[in-house]
Amino acid sequence: METAATTTNGADTASASNDIYPLALLMDELKHDDVSTRVDAMKKLDKIALALGPQRTRDELIPFLVEVAQDDEDEVFAVLAEELGQFVPFVGGAEFAPILLPPLEILASTEETLVREKAVDSLNIIAKDLSDQLLLENFIPLIERLANADWFSSKVSACGLFKSVIYRVQDDNLRKDLFQLYYHLDQDDTPMVRRAVGKNLPTLVDLLVENADLSTNQDWEFISNIFQNIINDNQDSVKFLGVDCLISIAKFFNAKNDQTHSQELLNSAIKLINDEAWRVRYMAADRFEELTKQFSNNPNHLNELIEPFLNLCDDNEGDVRKAISKQIPGFAKLINNQTIVLTKILPIIQNLSMDEMEDVRSSLALKVNDIAEVLTKDQAIEHLLPILLNMLRDECPEVRLNIISNLKIINDVIGIELLSESLLPAITELAKDGNWRVRLAIIEYIPILAKQLGVEFFDHQLSELCLSWLWDTVYSVRDAAVNNLSKLTEIFGSDWCRDEIIPKLLKMDPQLLKNFIYRFTLLSTLTALCKVVSPKVIASEILPFIVNLSTDSVPNIRFNVAKSYPIIIETLREDEDKTDYTPLITTTIDPSLQKLCEDDDVDVKYFANESLEKCKKLLAV
Amino acid sequence: MDTDMDVDVPMQDVATTTTTTQLLSDDEEHSITPTSQETTSKIIDLSRTKSSVPLNLNDSNINQLDAWIEKLSNCEFLSEDDVERLCKMAVDVIQFEENVKPIQVPVTICGDIHGQFHDLMELFKIGGPCPDNNYLFMGDYVDRGYYSVETVSFLVAMKIRYPNRITILRGNHESRQITQVYRFYDECLRKYGSANVWKMFTDLFDYFPITALVDNKIFCLHGGLSPMIETIDQVRELDRIQEVPHEGPMCDLLWSDPDDRGGWGISPRGAGFTFGQDISEQFNHTNGLDLIARAHQLVMDGYSWSHPNNVVTIFSAPNYCYRCGNQAAIMEVDENHNKQFLQYDPSVRPGAPTVSRKTPDYFL
Repeated sequence: METAATTTNGADTASASNDIYPLALLMDELKHDDVSTRVDAMKKLDKIALALGPQRTRDELIPFLVEVAQDDEDEVFAVLAEELGQFVPFVGGAEFAPILLPPLEILASTEETLVREKAVDSLNIIAKDLSDQLLLENFIPLIERLANADWFSSKVSACGLFKSVIYRVQDDNLRKDLFQLYYHLDQDDTPMVRRAVGKNLPTLVDLLVENADLSTNQDWEFISNIFQNIINDNQDSVKFLGVDCLISIAKFFNAKNDQTHSQELLNSAIKLINDEAWRVRYMAADRFEELTKQFSNNPNHLNELIEPFLNLCDDNEGDVRKAISKQIPGFAKLINNQTIVLTKILPIIQNLSMDEMEDVRSSLALKVNDIAEVLTKDQAIEHLLPILLNMLRDECPEVRLNIISNLKIINDVIGIELLSESLLPAITELAKDGNWRVRLAIIEYIPILAKQLGVEFFDHQLSELCLSWLWDTVYSVRDAAVNNLSKLTEIFGSDWCRDEIIPKLLKMDPQLLKNFIYRFTLLSTLTALCKVVSPKVIASEILPFIVNLSTDSVPNIRFNVAKSYPIIIETLREDEDKTDYTPLITTTIDPSLQKLCEDDDVDVKYFANESLEKCKKLLAV
Repeated sequence: MDTDMDVDVPMQDVATTTTTTQLLSDDEEHSITPTSQETTSKIIDLSRTKSSVPLNLNDSNINQLDAWIEKLSNCEFLSEDDVERLCKMAVDVIQFEENVKPIQVPVTICGDIHGQFHDLMELFKIGGPCPDNNYLFMGDYVDRGYYSVETVSFLVAMKIRYPNRITILRGNHESRQITQVYRFYDECLRKYGSANVWKMFTDLFDYFPITALVDNKIFCLHGGLSPMIETIDQVRELDRIQEVPHEGPMCDLLWSDPDDRGGWGISPRGAGFTFGQDISEQFNHTNGLDLIARAHQLVMDGYSWSHPNNVVTIFSAPNYCYRCGNQAAIMEVDENHNKQFLQYDPSVRPGAPTVSRKTPDYFL
């Protein structure tokens, strides 16, 4: 071992002190007064194990860590628990892995949740490497010890470990014993343990779904009892976990095409949906689509869920309404009955769209457009559009954004023409809102809209609007309009900008340009577009215009021309076609900038000189 | 006239209510020292340190100013030493400006700010950033709002950095007496632990120009006209480098208000006068003016015309004192003398929620 180490290191002076060094250093650092030093030392654990080699890691490091695991701060434990999960290779592979269990068992029993969770994660990682034999001999006894400990913390950890063994136990009796143990944990006095049981049950059931032939009726008796206990628990924080358990259990029987428990499960579902505790109702609302999907093979069962669904939509707790609002289109698709959608679901959407809580409205807006998929074109126009138009006028910008972000679906159902007839006026109206922050918000949504609706639609309907924002009275709106045009050019490309935007900009109403504010905006726009259009367009279209502005009567314009020049030169020099624009630069920008450096106005002079320096640097490269 | 009177405490009341400090100092020029002698002795005396030539901007002081402006625009106030440097530089810019500062169009004209720093930032969002746009402020940067120090430091720093792009006139609150009653003094004391910064700024205020003339057509000042001033040339002859006096032409320019009644009237403020349409028309006619632009009074729409179109009041502090519910406005004058008013509401206040309340994670 020692010779191997020295030859691989190529260090022929390797001495005993050198070999000891890593462990000694770690021990030293782990005795440091400062917690953060000890935490840092612990993070280097893998490197130390690598330096020591598997033999000495097993013989010296692990026993040392078992001691550490009993005497330090939680911060250090947390790192140790995490590190040990990656340790199988360092101790010499899977056959030696059980040596890692004792320190992790100690950490899995600590009071601090974070440490326990990391220890449980690491134990589950290691369990994957263990052979069935080692699992049986080492891992299952560990679960049993934790499950039968006195303190709740160990029992909580035990609940998290069943998932590593259940599906690997082929012996029906042993598996039954394990479920019995799990059932035993479920009857614990402390809600923390029962909560851990409820939290881990869906995972266990899902594993049985994947291994459908594994479980026996004995197992299911225990599972059924555990489930009943959970949904009848006197603690809300346990009961609400029943929703996910129910979904997993129903999935198991659906996978087996076994309908015998269907009615029973439906009753449990309805009980949870109508529970008096709002947290339980919230959970049912939050998972509603997934929950109801489990009953979708029986239309009668689905119909029984309509009333409970409407109750959730009308819940007096805002968070429940917020949760169910996102699930409405999914449920409507499952129901797949236009009469019910029109008579029951759309009225409830109407109500929620005017909910007093903006979180509810914004949550509704996130998915409500999807409901168009279950409607005919006429129905969508008659019943859905008015609601959407109203939501587009919501005082909360998030609501409006959510509607606009998902217009594509509406577009697919009602067609672009109708969309432009109905929704665009609403957008245009917002675009002219008296409050400049509303105008600003709409501009910021335009690139999203442009992406969804495509270039052709955009040119017809929105390009005029986008240009008109450049002439807004409020600077921030004009500035946003400039950014908007460069974002649109990024989406539609340089050619689009050259053909659709730049000609319109250069043919601006001369009356408007008598005001320096709009000349300034035009200059800002052209400068911003330089970064996104091709150098050819800059050279032929943009540059002549900007050079022309360098003799403007207003100094503010002149020094902004000076500021634009380095930006133009930078883009021209990045030309992919390798066209040499140096002659153009020396005949146009150079003389203009030289002249600005001699300007009467000090600010023009200052910014021109600053730009001259930048240009020199750019051209020197 | 739909203007609400901004009833500052009349000048005489100031003198009588503030008994602890020696406020009136007619005999000794700016000798108000409300703090102990030893602290005041270490700070600069601007009248001694000022230079005889205008400040020359070089790379090092430009970098210094840009750093200050950056810091101030985040509403962080400068250290006392930096304020000292700032005021020293400022005096060498501002002392050379004329009593009637000539201004070129285009320019954006603004009224009272009163320490509402975040609303000042909102103003630049509406009108555009300086130096890209040119600004003329007509006084009252301090008092009442919570950020007088940051507001006045920012404007003074901008003035030094871009003397041709921004002009800051003196308002009636840029005075030793008024600032002791309306918070600026207390704010300095609270933020710096001494009155030194207050002393430096109020000394600097003495040098601020008192009026401006935009392209020979718009006469801009904080308050209004004076019965002792018939022509703009008479303003040019005043000695303005002093504390705002209690009476006389300089006092009137900073304190007067237009009124519906004709002629001159006694001002309820206890300083300055009220003047009628006849006075404004005569003054504009005599001096070949289009308009008098002034601030000084709260107007609910942010701007208000009076004496038909002879006088305009501009007020740029939205929701004045954080409770008046008024809009603010600025007036853009383009290079062809077209005027456009931009109104705005208070900025989103710092600390106020800008996004909807997020639901707590109940299930942790």
